[in-house]
Amino acid sequence: MSAQLVEQTPIIVIDDDETMRRACGAALGRAGYQVETFADGPSGLKRIEQVRPGLIVVDLKMPGMGGMEVIDHAKEIDRDMVVIVITGFATVSTAVEAMKAGAYDFIPKPFTAEELRVIIARGVERHRLALEAKRLRAEKEAQARKFVTFVSHQLQSPLGAVRQYLDVLLHLMGDDVPEQQRTWIRRSSNKINQMNAIIRDWLTLSKVEAGQLATQRCLVRWPELVAEVLEGHALATEAKQVTLHSEVPENLPPVIGDPPALKMLLSNLVSNGIEYNRAGGRVTIRAAVDTRTVSLLVSDTGVGIAPEHQDHVFEEFYRVVGEGAERTSGTGMGLPICRKIAEELDGEITLTSRPGQGSTFTVVLPRGPADTPAEEFPDDVPIGGA
Amino acid sequence: MPGKAKILIVDDDEDYCASTRALLENEGYEVQEAASGREGLAAAESYNPDLIVLDIMMESPVEGYTVIQALKHRDEYANVREIPVLMVSSVQDDPTSLFPMAGEVEMITPDAYLTKPLDIPKFLEYVRNMLGEEAG
Repeated sequence: MSAQLVEQTPIIVIDDDETMRRACGAALGRAGYQVETFADGPSGLKRIEQVRPGLIVVDLKMPGMGGMEVIDHAKEIDRDMVVIVITGFATVSTAVEAMKAGAYDFIPKPFTAEELRVIIARGVERHRLALEAKRLRAEKEAQARKFVTFVSHQLQSPLGAVRQYLDVLLHLMGDDVPEQQRTWIRRSSNKINQMNAIIRDWLTLSKVEAGQLATQRCLVRWPELVAEVLEGHALATEAKQVTLHSEVPENLPPVIGDPPALKMLLSNLVSNGIEYNRAGGRVTIRAAVDTRTVSLLVSDTGVGIAPEHQDHVFEEFYRVVGEGAERTSGTGMGLPICRKIAEELDGEITLTSRPGQGSTFTVVLPRGPADTPAEEFPDDVPIGGA
Repeated sequence: MPGKAKILIVDDDEDYCASTRALLENEGYEVQEAASGREGLAAAESYNPDLIVLDIMMESPVEGYTVIQALKHRDEYANVREIPVLMVSSVQDDPTSLFPMAGEVEMITPDAYLTKPLDIPKFLEYVRNMLGEEAG
């Protein structure tokens, strides 16, 4: 029975009292556990860092680094590490404090070898369950992702085939088909595009949620991305009679991010800015810096977003339907994806808007190290965020 | 004026084959289909097309790439190496991001790349360019 309770890693005991160390070592050794003992926090933590034990025993009252501090450091190394604290009989309240700090259980002195073993056994079981839960969660997430990827490809393929049939039909026979029926074919093709867009967004969203989308961390220069994205939307602006403007200075300090994800984010914001705009309107992109962040602001002269909707526009599938906001062809997933990308990169997106006065989406991201002092605070960039 | 250009479509999806074939035949090209990588390589040799339109995935993720790798790099296909290859895919990424292993990207870069479903004007323009024809 003892053999089953033996951990694969040693139990680390930290106690300044030599007798305690030896007694614990003996008591646990008899139950088949591997034990390593240390006289102070620093040496114990060094070993903990090396072997990543599942369970440690810490005396609360020690000179130098106290037990509470050891617990903090240990939990930083591994959140799932089970901590058992040894307390004096008069310090139960300290024990409760220790548990709030992350200890799993406490054992007041004096205690028998058997009492120690019982508590350790519970702790070992607890650790086993925590790891099991973690493993199952990861498995569940991986399966969900596989499902999403599989289904989205299985759906996109036939949809693509249907759309191509419709497009080729129109191309080959368009002139022989009456106007109304030609419109039906075109609208069918558009509906298929919409479905494909939803599926792609669903796939993107699931990747972002799994932390799989914004995986790179490198220096990204907004001015370059802005130029690419604006060029990419040239056709859309013609269709909606909206003009795009960039006031982003060339020497804007870089941010730390994932280039393709940020391109997608910016593209989404610009698309929205065009889509929800009025004819003859503008989309303007500006920037601002402060000591730790770089902000990119995308503003439109559209209908704006009413206060009651502003809290919700970043929710999945949320569509604003109301005065001036005609049913547009979006999927309702653009903004949630943008927000998740920003958050994944330790940034955020905020919205300021007033109905009738357009909206401004601000993307705040951590700035990368500046190459030169001059690059750190360019003269023409507003300080402090707009 | 020389005879009609010959185009080989390599794709296991019969619907895409059917609509793409109709499109190309309407432009006056002669078309043959192959439904797998293996058939495609055999047809490249026997049919000797002027252009190959190759689907990236087919049954398995590497089937399309295996074909292009063979066409461009294997000695036994040296005589058909010069045939331009237009790769099509329903995956929304470009080939370099699908296979980010630096060494291999060089080996599997097609002459051109388009996503499915095809943007008809763009597709026809690519075909004309790759066949060395003037714009219609």
